[in-house]
Amino acid sequence: MVKPIDNIKKKRAEAVNRIIGKGYLSTKRVYVGMATCEIAAGSKEIMQIFEEAVRKGLTDVYLSQKGCAGRCNLEPTVEVIEEGKIPVKYGKVDPERAREIIERHLKKGEIIEEWVIK
Amino acid sequence: MAEKYKRDDVVAARVITLCDGPGCMHKGSKELLSALKDGFREKGLSYRDVKVNLSGCLGMCARGPVMIVNPGYTIYGNVGKADLEEILEEHIIKGKPVARLVIEENHLYNKFFRVFGDVGFFGKQMRIALRNCGIIDPESIDDYLALRGYEALARVLSSMSPEEVVEEVKRSGLRGRGGAGFPTGLKWDFTRKAAGEKKYVICNADEGDPGAFMDRSAIEGDPHTVLEGIIIGGYAVGASRGIIYIRAEYPLAIRRLEKAIKDAREHGIIGENILGSDFSFDVEIKLGAGAFVCGEETALIHSIEGSRGMPRPRPPFPSVSGLFGEPTLINNVETWANIPVIIMDGADWFSSVGTEKSKGTKVFAVAGKVRNTGLVEVPMGTTLREIIFDIGGGIPEDKKFKAVQTGGPSGGCLPEEYLDTPIDYESLARAGSIMGSGGMIVIDEDSCMVGIARFFLEFTQNESCGKCTPCREGTKRMLEILTRITEGRGMEGDIEKLERLGKTIKKASLCGLGQSAPNPVLSTIKNFREEYEEHIKEKKCRSGECRNLLEYYITEDCVGCTACKKVCPAGAVTGSPRERHAIDIEKCIKCGQCLAACKFNAVKTA
Ligand SMILES: Cc1cc2nc3c(=O)[nH]c(=O)nc-3n(C[C@H](O)[C@H](O)[C@H](O)COP(=O)(O)O)c2cc1C
Repeated sequence: MVKPIDNIKKKRAEAVNRIIGKGYLSTKRVYVGMATCEIAAGSKEIMQIFEEAVRKGLTDVYLSQKGCAGRCNLEPTVEVIEEGKIPVKYGKVDPERAREIIERHLKKGEIIEEWVIK
Repeated sequence: MAEKYKRDDVVAARVITLCDGPGCMHKGSKELLSALKDGFREKGLSYRDVKVNLSGCLGMCARGPVMIVNPGYTIYGNVGKADLEEILEEHIIKGKPVARLVIEENHLYNKFFRVFGDVGFFGKQMRIALRNCGIIDPESIDDYLALRGYEALARVLSSMSPEEVVEEVKRSGLRGRGGAGFPTGLKWDFTRKAAGEKKYVICNADEGDPGAFMDRSAIEGDPHTVLEGIIIGGYAVGASRGIIYIRAEYPLAIRRLEKAIKDAREHGIIGENILGSDFSFDVEIKLGAGAFVCGEETALIHSIEGSRGMPRPRPPFPSVSGLFGEPTLINNVETWANIPVIIMDGADWFSSVGTEKSKGTKVFAVAGKVRNTGLVEVPMGTTLREIIFDIGGGIPEDKKFKAVQTGGPSGGCLPEEYLDTPIDYESLARAGSIMGSGGMIVIDEDSCMVGIARFFLEFTQNESCGKCTPCREGTKRMLEILTRITEGRGMEGDIEKLERLGKTIKKASLCGLGQSAPNPVLSTIKNFREEYEEHIKEKKCRSGECRNLLEYYITEDCVGCTACKKVCPAGAVTGSPRERHAIDIEKCIKCGQCLAACKFNAVKTA
C-alpha cells in the first residue's frame, strides 16, 4: 500500500508541474486581490483588465488571484513578483492605474513608485 | 522606532532584518546592531538605501543571532561581528548571499518574509493562521499542494496515532481563538475519550462580532488550511463527519469552501480511505442566518439540528453530548487554521512563539481611528501599542488616542495607561477587557465613550435570543438608561444602576452572550466615569458626538447671508439679511443643518 505521505508528495510534484505548465516561471507573476473586501473596492474590474491584456497578447506574465493580505484601506491591491526582486505591491488600483501598470510595469519593467504600498 | 514605520516614501530594495528577541539579544544581536552602524560608515552605505529592521523574536533562537537579508530573503544564523563585513560587502553591495552563513529555513518564515518582510505594516507581524492568505490563489488546490498543503494530514495518517495527534496539540499550548481561550488539546482529548456511536467535528465560522472579519478572510484567502485542520481533528477524535457552520452573508467564503471541498474530494483527500489510508471522513457546509447567538456553541448545534438557535446550559459540554447527542468537537476557524502548522513544525516550535500561557499568534481585525486599518496577525505578547502605533501607523490627523476596544460586544475599552499590555488571554482579562475573537477598534478623542458603550449594548440587546430573563430584560433596561444619558436626560444614580444591573446580568445569564453583554458598559464606567458624569450632571458631551447635548450658536463671523435660516427646518434661526443671525435654543432640534450650510464657519457648537 502506498503511504499517505508518499501519496501527497506525488500530488505535490504533479501540482507544481501543472502550475509551471500554466506559466508560473514567466518573468512576472501578477496577483490581483480577490477577497470580499477587495471585490467591494472594485477588484473584479481590475482582474478583467489584466485578463483582457493577457488575451490580447501580453506575454511572459502569470496572472492569478489571491486572498486578503490585510491592507483594507489600500484596496484593491495588485502584486507583481519577479524572481530575485522585491515584490511590488500596488495599492488603490483603479482601472486607470491597472492599465498604466500593464503598459509601464509589465511591458516596460518600470516600477511606478508613487502607487507602491510601503 | 515608530517613525521608521511612517516613512512611506522609500521602497528599500535592500533590507536587513535583525532579530532582537531575547535569545538573539543574549547571543549578541545588540552588538551586531552597533557594529552594523560602523560597517555602514566604512562602506559608505546609508539607511536610506538599506533599510534596517528589528524583528522581534523570530523563533530561531537556537541559531541566533539571526538576520534576514534582502534581496533574496536569505536567512543567516550564528552571525558574528566578524561576519558582518562579508555580508555587507558580498550580499548588500554585490547582491550575492554568503553561502556559509545561510541556515536551513523555516518554510513559514521564509515565505512570510519573501512576500511581506520589507514592509513596516508586516514587520511586527507573524503569520501562522494566515500564512497563505494573500499569497496563494485560494481557489487552486494546486497552489496549496505546492506549498506543502495537506502534508500535515498525510504525515498524521502515515505515522501518528490519534492519541499522538491529541498529545501534540496539547503540547503546543494552542487555545481556542473563538473567544474563550479554552485549551484546544484538552477539548480534543475530552472528545476523543467520550463514549459515543458517532462523533462529529464542527468548524465555527459564524463570526458574529460587529466589525470582525478574521474568519471570513482566513477562509477566503486559504480555505484548504481550514479543511486540513478539520480533517486532522476528525482523525484525532475519531469522527467521520465534519460540518462547517458559516453565515450565509459570506457568499464568497462559502463558494471557496465549496470548491475546496470538491477539489479535495477529487484528490482523495476527503471521502473514503483518505490518501490511501483506512481513515474516512466527509465535510459539509451548513449555512447560518447570521444571528450573533448562533456563534455560541450550544445554540449553533441546535441550529444545525434544525431547532431554534438558542443556547442551553452547560454541562454537558458538546465534547460529551453535542450534535444529535453525540460527542462533538467544536473549534473556531482560526483555531483550525493553526493545526497544520503545529503538525508540520511541531509543538515545540509552536510553543516557542508567544507568552507563557498564550502560545502562537492571534489575528486581529484592526478598525476605527487608525491609519492602517486591516487584518494583522501578531505573536502573543505583542503590546497593544505595537499593534496600534507600529503596525497600525497611529491615529490619523495626529488626533489623541483615547481607548482601544477589544473583544467586540463581549469585551471592554482600555485607556492609554493600558497600551503596554501584552496581548494574551490573561493580561487582557486582568486589564479589564478580553481577547475575544479578534476585533480591535481604536477610538480617538472625537468619540464618546458612553456612545460606544451604547452601540455595543444596542447590538447585544438586539441579538439576545430572549430565552433567559436577565439577558432579555436586563440588557433592555441598561440600553434605556444609556439612551437617556446620551440624549441629555440622564439622572443622578444612573451610573450606579448600570453597574448593579450589569453585575446581575453577568452573574445570572444563561450563556456567554448575556454573561459578557455588560462588559463594554462596565469597562467604560470603570475607565471613563467622568464622561458619564459630565453627560448626566452637566449635560455635556466632550466629544461632541451626542448631538442632543450640543448647543448651536452663531458667532461674530456671521455675515448675514441667510443660508442657515433657509435650511433650518424648525424655524429656529432669526436675523435679517447682512446682520448677524441667532439661534433660538428652545426651538432648535439640533439637526446640524445650519452648521453644514454655513460657508463662513460662523455656526458653532458647545
Ligand atoms: C454569544 C456568543 C457568540 C459566539 N460567537 C462565536 C463565533 O462567532 N465564532 C466562534 O468561533 N466562537 C463563538 N463563540 C464561542 C463558541 O461558543 C465556542 O466557544 C467556540 O466556537 C469554541 O471554539 P474554540 O475553542 O476554537 O475557540 C461565541 C460564544 C458566545 C457566547
